[in-house]
Order: sequence, then C-alpha cells, then structure tokens
Amino acid sequence: MADASTVAELVNISVDGRPVEVPPGTLVWDACEKAGIFVPVYCAHKKLEPVAVCRMCLVEVEGLPKLQPACATRVAPGMVVRTQTEQVRKFRDGNLEFLLLNHPLDCPVCDRGGECDLQDFTQRYGPGRARSSITEKVHFDKAVKLSDKIMLDQERCILCWRCVRYYEEITGEREIVLQERGVHTVVDSFERQPLQSQFQGNLPEICPVGALTHRQYRFRARPWDLRRTASVCSHCSYGCNIFVDAREEQIARYASNDNPEVDDSWLCDQGRYGFPELNRPERVINPEARVGGLRQAVSYQDAVARAAGALLRVRGDHGGTSVGVLGSPRMTNEEAFVLQWLAREVIATPHVDHRYEPLEGISPEQFRLGIAELEGCDAVVVIGDRPERLSPVLTLRLYKVANKLGRQILRVPETFSAAQVVKQLPAAGRIGIVAAQADRAAAMGLRAKAGSAGREAAVLTITEAVNSRGCQDLGLLPNVGPGYRSLEHSGLFGRQLLEAAVAGQIKALLVVGDGADFEAEGLFHEALAKVDVAVVVTAWQGVASRAATVLLPGRTIAEKAGTVTNTEGRVQRVRTAVEPKFTFPSDLRILGDLAAGLGSDLGVQALAAPVFELLAAAVPAYRGCQAGLRAHWEPGS
Amino acid sequence: MFREMVGGLRITLREMMTKPITIQYPEEQRPVPPRHRGRHILHRYDNGLEKCIGCELCAGACPVGCIYVQAAENDPQHPVSPGERYAVRYEINLMRCIYCGYCAEACPTEAITLGPRLDLADYKRERLVATKDDLLEAWPGFHPMAQGVAEGRGAPAPQTSPLGAGSSHQGPAGSAPGLRPPIPGSRGSGGGAAPI
Repeated sequence: MADASTVAELVNISVDGRPVEVPPGTLVWDACEKAGIFVPVYCAHKKLEPVAVCRMCLVEVEGLPKLQPACATRVAPGMVVRTQTEQVRKFRDGNLEFLLLNHPLDCPVCDRGGECDLQDFTQRYGPGRARSSITEKVHFDKAVKLSDKIMLDQERCILCWRCVRYYEEITGEREIVLQERGVHTVVDSFERQPLQSQFQGNLPEICPVGALTHRQYRFRARPWDLRRTASVCSHCSYGCNIFVDAREEQIARYASNDNPEVDDSWLCDQGRYGFPELNRPERVINPEARVGGLRQAVSYQDAVARAAGALLRVRGDHGGTSVGVLGSPRMTNEEAFVLQWLAREVIATPHVDHRYEPLEGISPEQFRLGIAELEGCDAVVVIGDRPERLSPVLTLRLYKVANKLGRQILRVPETFSAAQVVKQLPAAGRIGIVAAQADRAAAMGLRAKAGSAGREAAVLTITEAVNSRGCQDLGLLPNVGPGYRSLEHSGLFGRQLLEAAVAGQIKALLVVGDGADFEAEGLFHEALAKVDVAVVVTAWQGVASRAATVLLPGRTIAEKAGTVTNTEGRVQRVRTAVEPKFTFPSDLRILGDLAAGLGSDLGVQALAAPVFELLAAAVPAYRGCQAGLRAHWEPGS
Repeated sequence: MFREMVGGLRITLREMMTKPITIQYPEEQRPVPPRHRGRHILHRYDNGLEKCIGCELCAGACPVGCIYVQAAENDPQHPVSPGERYAVRYEINLMRCIYCGYCAEACPTEAITLGPRLDLADYKRERLVATKDDLLEAWPGFHPMAQGVAEGRGAPAPQTSPLGAGSSHQGPAGSAPGLRPPIPGSRGSGGGAAPI
C-alpha cells in the first residue's frame, strides 16, 4: 500500500469520533483497528486481497448514502466513519440472520466450537433468536473428505471465499472452487479430486467457521481443553513460529503464529501434522546404568556419578582424545554450546559433532540473505529442488515474490553454468541465491560470478534440522569452534568418529539428543557395541538407549526451553509446551551436572537464560538476539 | 419442681407412643424426590445409541472441573451415538462433584442427568471416579424414566455393541415410532435407528 516516502502526508479520518492518522490507501478496516475499534469481518484476511463478499464489516461513511464495506474501502482525507450506529447494528443483525439461515447449528459436535467467528459475532452482534425453523434448512454434504488431512462440511460454510482465495493468491494451486449458484452455492475441491497441496493445513486455520477442519485434530479436544504455548516448529530449519496446543501433556495440534519475517503465518503440512512424532510413547523415562554387566534402574545422582566416573576412567587410561561426543541438530543452542564446551574444555577431546556426514567449508556468508529479504531481491535464483523440499514454506515466500511482487524467480538444476545463469539475470538490482546447504559451494560460486559481473548478490542456504544452524554457529562441529572460530586441532566428523570407535581408537562415546541422524546407521550400532563406555542422554528408546552403559532420560523439543537458530540465523525461543512423564532434570542441567562430576564448573546455573548469556559472550553475533532477532555476523567473520 | 417433672415425663411418654421416624437404612430406603440430584446417569436413545455426543459442554460448564471427556469419531457401520461424534471416555470425579446439575443444563442432547442414587461412599478413592461404564444407562434402561419405553421392547442386545441402522439384531426396538434423535448433523430420516 503506502511506502515510506508517503508517511509525511498521512490522511486524517475519524472513526466513531476518534481521530486517526493513517497513510493514504489504507483500508477503513485497518484504520478502525488502529483507532482501537473492532469491526467484525469474515471474508477479509490480513494476508489476502479484499473481496467484500461477506458484508459483515459494513460501516457508515458520512456523505455516502449506503453502508460501505470497511474491508474494501480505502480512506480519504476527512472521512468520517461510524461503526456503532443503529443502521450498522441492524445490518449486522440481518446479515448474521442470513448467514445462520442454513447453518446447521451443530456447534456441540463442531471442532471449531469455542473459537468460531460465527459463534462469537452472533453472540456479540447477532439476533437473539431465529425466525425460521431448524427443520427448514437447505442441506448439503457433511463430512466430505477433501483429502487425508482436511474434512469439509458444506453446511457450515458461510461462503467467505477465503479458502478459494488462499489457493489463488498464496499457493497458486487453485484446488478449491465455488460451485453452483444462489442458495445452492457450495465450496468443494475441483471435480471432487483429493487436495494435493502440501499447505492444506492452513485452510482450517483461515476458515472463519468450522467448514474446513483438520482430520488429525478431529474431535481430539475443545479449545478450552488446550494450553497454548508459543514456540517454533521443529520440522525443518525454517523456524516457523507456532502455537503448540496441548491437552493433558500431549500435543493436540500446532497452530500458526504469524511472524511476517519468517513464515508469514503459513505452515507446511509436514510441519503442522508432524507432531505425533513427539507424542510417541517409546520414551526413556528412568536413569539406567550397567552394573556388573546388567542394566538396571538407578537414581539420577548415581547415574550422573557413574557416567562421570566412567568418562574420567577412559580419559585417564587413554587420554581425552579417546572420547567421542555426539550431539543432535535438534538440541537447543544452549545445549549445543554447553556440549561443545564439555567436550573441548572438560573432557579435552576435539571429536565432537552433531551430524553423521562431514560438513566442511561453512561460513556465515552462506546465510547472509534473510527469508523476508527475498522480497527485496529483484531476482531470486533457486538451485535445485532441495531447498523447497527441506523447507516447504519457502515455496510460498517464493510464490509471493514472483506473483505479488512480480520479481523473477529462476529455478536452475544443481548442475548449472554460473555464466549462463548470470546472463539470464536482470541487468541491475539485488540478486538472491537460495540453495540447500549441500549446494553451498555452487551457490557461493554463483555469488562470486554475479559479483564479478557487477551484480549485488546474497546467498541463503537451507540447513536440514531445526537447529542445524545453531549447532554450526556454536561450534558443535569438529572443524570449527563457536562463532566459526578456526581450531588448532580438528577432530573427527561424525562418521569418521564412529569408524574410529569401531576400529577401537575411540573408547568412550557421549551421545546427547535424539540421535535421529545416527540411529539409522549400522555404523552407529557397531560403534556403540564396541566402545567400553557409552553415556547416552536421549528421549527416545532406540539403538543408543539400548546400548548405553549409562542412560539418562532426555527431553523432546516440545518439553524443553531454550533458543534455536533458524537457517537465516534468527534466534527464536522454544518453550516448554508439555511436561515429560518424569521429573528428572532437563538435558541442559544433565550436561551441567555431568561437567560438575568431571570436575568442572560451568560458572553459571545450567538454565537457558544464564547459559545464553554465556554463549553470547563467546559468540558476539548472538548478543541480545533471543527475542527473535537474526544474529548479526560481521562480513568476513 | 414437681410440675416441671410431670411436664417433661409427659413429653417423653407421648414420644414413646409415636412411630419412630428413623428407618433401617440400607435394607429400608426412603423414596427419593423426583428432582433429586444424585449420581449422574448417561442416557441412551430407545434404539440403544448413546445420547452423549462427546461435545464436552458439560465439562466446560462444570464449575469444579470434575468431568473429563474424550471424544472420537463414530464408525458409520457401528456407531456408538447418532452423528459423527461420540464420547470414547467419559469420567466424573464424584469426590469433587458438587452435584450442581450444570452439566445436565449444558447438555445439548439431554444425555446426562443427575439421578436418584445417593449412596456414594466407597472404600477406595479410585472407585469414586465414575467411568462411562459406571454412568451409562444399561440397555434396556433400568432408570425409572426409561422403564415405560423399555417394557415394549424385544430381546435386549449386549450392552457393549449398541445397534446401528440395519443391524441384524435390531429387533422390534428399531421400529419404535418417531424416535429419530434430534441431533444436528444426522440427516437420515425414517427408521428410528438411522444414524447419520
């Protein structure tokens, strides 16, 4: 709408007698919101273009004979808007009566009941009673399975078109259409084909009523059962902001938590519907230790003491370099920082990693471009399909850049000729380069080529897991220290470390985190069987938990507090959304206690906030970033 | 002084002549007033389907939070209740319940009422958390309110498998006149036991 240059000439209008100053071109609805006056609306949505079909937001504008839709009318200087007049009240009342005419009123069995705009506005503005009989309603199909994820109830639909417009404007897939005419109009998938989109989960969220609902969440809970926690989606490294809605310490659903800088309020289905992974019952719930060949449950203190004693013994007999430390890209920043400190400073081993495959030649420059900054690029080059496979929500951002902003998107295969690509780019302007981390060399090469051709280019590489970026920034790698500091002695990468363990050079392993990257590898199994000591801190039963000589129960990402860094370097907080079934200390405190057992003190309490201060002192880019800001890396650092 | 003694004895002697108002409680029981709010009952329709749709409005209305409901989706071939939704778990913590009756008031299908039962003591606290099996009306109904309907019914079916439409062991119950439950969402009409 209005850019920064027009801020000087604000438009003065009055809403219900309250003066407001807004940029020209602002919608009356937004001006009302700015004045602190709520105008009910169904069809308008912050991320969609106005259509003014629901007629719920009609307001009186002085000088105009008829009521105007606030969601589609733009402000004019001196405009006088009234939202509380008798005429507005009468229209809202009448409009709601129309909407309810054929509404089935099955709120008790509707998943939306309790958080439904139709319920809320009827309560607030609607008629107290119906004039038509409940038996005279026009009926449509209920419980239409639009796909394996979405259920459609055509009777509940109020025809706001939000779903249709979402597919048109946000994903461009156009899978839902309006069919028939007049009172028989229904929303349906095109030719009743099952929906294919990987962004269907957003539909129930933008639906103002219970017409589109999640099949996964179907009848699972009512809104008043849920406890909502703002957190970060753990599916990929994109860092979409979510609300975790939990019922009885089980995650019931994920809901989007709009962050225009990251997710722009959209989630992908893999992320949104992926949480049952975290609800799995195969958990480690007790500290255990191998006592005389037999594994048995021990107390927490005993387990920590045994773990520390065993690690000390191995270090004493074979030196610190005979110990290997493996983390996980699903650890928080705090845990990653403490774990690498524990390895390097306490155990004195360079062999520390968080992934199976080696990762070399990384630098903050490969993450220079921010996600929202893609919108400021004149052209975006996407290398291969891996970035969008890793982080599906990126597709929506690219679609916005291409279609709403009209910029050029150039999708090139992984093997491309940089010179050819540069030739296709616009002559001037900023170039964005998006690649999977695996293609970082190609992306940096293209950046250099574009730079030498006189174009300003920046790269965004997409990492794999939720905190891969944080683990890299904080040096949970054998070849770089915290803040990508170069090391005197590089250690062994994950795979090499396990090979060394199988070969007998590594005598003890400390494995922290879910180990999902390793569990599938046969080598991991062999290495754990071979080493003398395997201290495992994990939430899940698996190869590591079974082979452990000392096992400590860890937490899932939904159960811990701390920060994670998304692929563009944004440091965001994860919060405890559910409590684990046990009361043992968190992973971070386990690491602190382990360090104490090994004779070293962290210097601060092993809690997320003090440890963050500690890591921000070691990695200056992170200073003051835990509120959701991007870590600011100096160029060339 | 003598007068007072005589006066007192007169009352004593008079009371000795009257019938005592106490009864031999567990063996003998007084009738409970019809609107007594005792232990809850979960009702069924005449075709055996549960009235409860698992909407949790009772739990929402409960001022002490003693009701726990977990809903689930009906299997259309073997529905537990009419419509799409039923309560797979329904528990009331009778120790916490204050018997206010708000649950019954909130219920959109009149599935839950507070019944006549008032002997709620037990030796174990766990047993005072009433589950769905404890609360659900037996089928055919034992509740006085349901007696009249139950008399006209054929052979009872096992309680564990409430009958659906077209079920072979439907018996005469299916033809009970005009008994389509007024559940929003169930559009099938005609035969009494037509779920959905």
